[in-house]
Amino acid sequence: MNSAAKLSYTAMCLGAAVLAASGIGVFALGRPPMTHWVLMAHMAAAPVFAAALAGVAVTWADLCRKGSKPRLGAAAKVLLWIILVCGLVVMLSGVLPMTPLFGTDGQRALYLTHRWAGIVLAAAVLLHLPALRPHADVTRH
Amino acid sequence: MLPAAKSLNLLRLLWLAALLAGMAGARAEALKTGSRGPFLHNIPLYDSEGNVISPPALLGDDGRPQEARAAPYSTEQTCGKCHDYDVISQGWHFNAADSNVKPGRPGEPWILTDPATHTQIPLSYRGWPGTFKPPDLGLSDYDFLTNFARHFPGGGLGDPDTIDSADPRMGRMQITGTMEIDCLICHQSTGAYNHEGRFTALQGENFRWAPTIAAGLGTFGGFSNAGSMADQWHPGEQVPATPPSIKYNRAKFDADTNVMFQVTRRAPSANCYYCHTSQSPPGDARWQSDPDVHLRAGMVCVDCHRNGLDHKIVRGYEGEARDRTITEAAIDLRAKIMQRDDPAISGDNARQLARRQLDAELGMIDTLTCSGCHASGRLASPRPIHKGLPPVHFKKLTCTACHSGPLPGPQPEIVHTSLAHGLGLAAPVRGKNTAPIIVQPVFLHDTDGRIAPYKMVWPSYWARLKDGKLTPLLPAGAAKSACLPKQNPEEAVRDPYNTKPLTDQQIQQALESLADNSSEAVFIAAGKMYRLDKGKLVAEESAAAAPYSWALAHDVRPARQALGAKGCADCHASDSPAFLGTVLARGPVEPAKGLSREMWEMRGEDKTWIEVFAFAFKFRPWLKGIVLGAAFVVLVVLAHYALRGVGVITAAISTKRSPP
Repeated sequence: MNSAAKLSYTAMCLGAAVLAASGIGVFALGRPPMTHWVLMAHMAAAPVFAAALAGVAVTWADLCRKGSKPRLGAAAKVLLWIILVCGLVVMLSGVLPMTPLFGTDGQRALYLTHRWAGIVLAAAVLLHLPALRPHADVTRH
Repeated sequence: MLPAAKSLNLLRLLWLAALLAGMAGARAEALKTGSRGPFLHNIPLYDSEGNVISPPALLGDDGRPQEARAAPYSTEQTCGKCHDYDVISQGWHFNAADSNVKPGRPGEPWILTDPATHTQIPLSYRGWPGTFKPPDLGLSDYDFLTNFARHFPGGGLGDPDTIDSADPRMGRMQITGTMEIDCLICHQSTGAYNHEGRFTALQGENFRWAPTIAAGLGTFGGFSNAGSMADQWHPGEQVPATPPSIKYNRAKFDADTNVMFQVTRRAPSANCYYCHTSQSPPGDARWQSDPDVHLRAGMVCVDCHRNGLDHKIVRGYEGEARDRTITEAAIDLRAKIMQRDDPAISGDNARQLARRQLDAELGMIDTLTCSGCHASGRLASPRPIHKGLPPVHFKKLTCTACHSGPLPGPQPEIVHTSLAHGLGLAAPVRGKNTAPIIVQPVFLHDTDGRIAPYKMVWPSYWARLKDGKLTPLLPAGAAKSACLPKQNPEEAVRDPYNTKPLTDQQIQQALESLADNSSEAVFIAAGKMYRLDKGKLVAEESAAAAPYSWALAHDVRPARQALGAKGCADCHASDSPAFLGTVLARGPVEPAKGLSREMWEMRGEDKTWIEVFAFAFKFRPWLKGIVLGAAFVVLVVLAHYALRGVGVITAAISTKRSPP
């Protein structure tokens, strides 16, 4: 795994951490909707996460296909694809409401999609980290 | 004739007599057409004693022409024959002084304005915070009427159940008559209601005669000022037994002495506008503004602002239902109707059912708000789409914030209203400095914490401060005690509203002239309290000088002219009027001396956050670009491997199916 992959993955994790803390944290603390500095932190972390996710997609996808070398665990592979799919959904459902394409009903649907895809994404990222640990050979390559 | 036949005839006569007696005794209000078509109101007039008004014949017994003199008509007696006057009297337009009525959302106050003393005091019997109740200022109900009858529709405090003849002010009503609800102000459909005539009549305290004059039924018969007659009266004295009469226009009466009233339940908006006009910008600029989008679509005010017989008109704000009171009178009326329809039902049961029905009907009010109507599609209202608007805005803003009133500018603009400036009555041209100075839109939080547009006025008055308690002086008291600059005749002609601001020196002189040993003289104006400190004039912020504001909802602009229709930067910009517009307190002092606040400050918000958030919108295109670009990359990668996966699957399937 090259340094670009490591950098992308690290940036994605950091971005996801900020996004999850600001996004899920607001709801966990019972203070929706997200506003003020929390919203600002969420919006600031979003492009970092998005760019990093694109980097992860490019640098990690081949590692996670079936039969790839170095070998990753099945859980790590599946979780990465989940991260990519959910990340795509989260990105689109986050950015499309900023365009004049969707009315209130669409906006609400996108908002709910963003919320639930975000929760799944956060969980997938959280699980992906330990899923990598038994396969230290990944980092050696 | 046989005895049996005789007794039969007697029975028939008795039955006929009973029938006639019943018809005579039946109250007319039991008669209804029940049709959606209007009833032809060709009806007799009744005076306040309930007598039919029948002008004397054109020629007297001596063959000489005689005038059609008779008592003025009474709306309570005439309209009340079919429409229960007591029930109507519960209406929002008449019940302000009824302490049993919940005040509801603060609305437009009456503003006691006196240019000579630079007084502008918001008044309301409803006790809205920031207003004074007239009695608290020493203003009697009668004084209130003499000040505001021009736009007061009558009823309520204008038409008390009893007149205290010992009260030197209220006792005058024995001569001037009470101010009954003038139904035609709202319900005439011809546009022929004479507001000027009514105003002239009311200026002379001719309360009893005003409806007849305004309806154009006649003119004053040999007098024009009941107020002067009342001036001659003193408590305890007898009042004239026969009040002056009206000289009726005979052409208004048909052969049966009925009079045709062209009235409508669906009152034209022009009738509402007499009292509810908001003119902004003031002056001869009406051609620059567009009317409310609903009116342009062919609606009238009462399509949304509806009412039943009780005239509790729907004000149309969200949460109004919880501010409503179901009165015992309303329950009685409904129970009476129920018992009429179902005689078997007991009184208690009817009242319980009536209460339940009226409670359920309160829910209907919510369907007549902006969102209630547009969400349900009532009256073919278009469903709001709000493309590109994140739903969080509905939690933070009222509909009116984006859709109502003038588009906000760097400073709120000055607006004239009927109640405050006497619009609807001819007067010298009112200007931007004509008191009271009201500004709009000011964006404040409503009771639900949402941002909404408001009209705002700052009180201005001379007062005495004693033990921390402020007692405003009424204009007459201030004029008597305070040494105020007087206009010379030339100035009065040029500036009839005395708009020249007071200088510090003039304020100091006035305060010095008002000073006494028992209390401190102060002047409230433009958000500040002026007082003398060791002989020196000081101006400081004071809660007593805080502005009074009330929500504005009209004129509604079309969707494409809503705030935000041009994009997020309509509000989220470094110069956004909704956040950074400057609200300058206005009053009878130099504008620069008024208290100045930005909108965010008035709402208690964080300016740093507002500026940072607005600044962040400059990067929004970048954000969109980065995220969409990243999404594209991820999508391509996913599609690539998905297609490869599909290829693997199809290859596997084709391998399996190939012949051995």
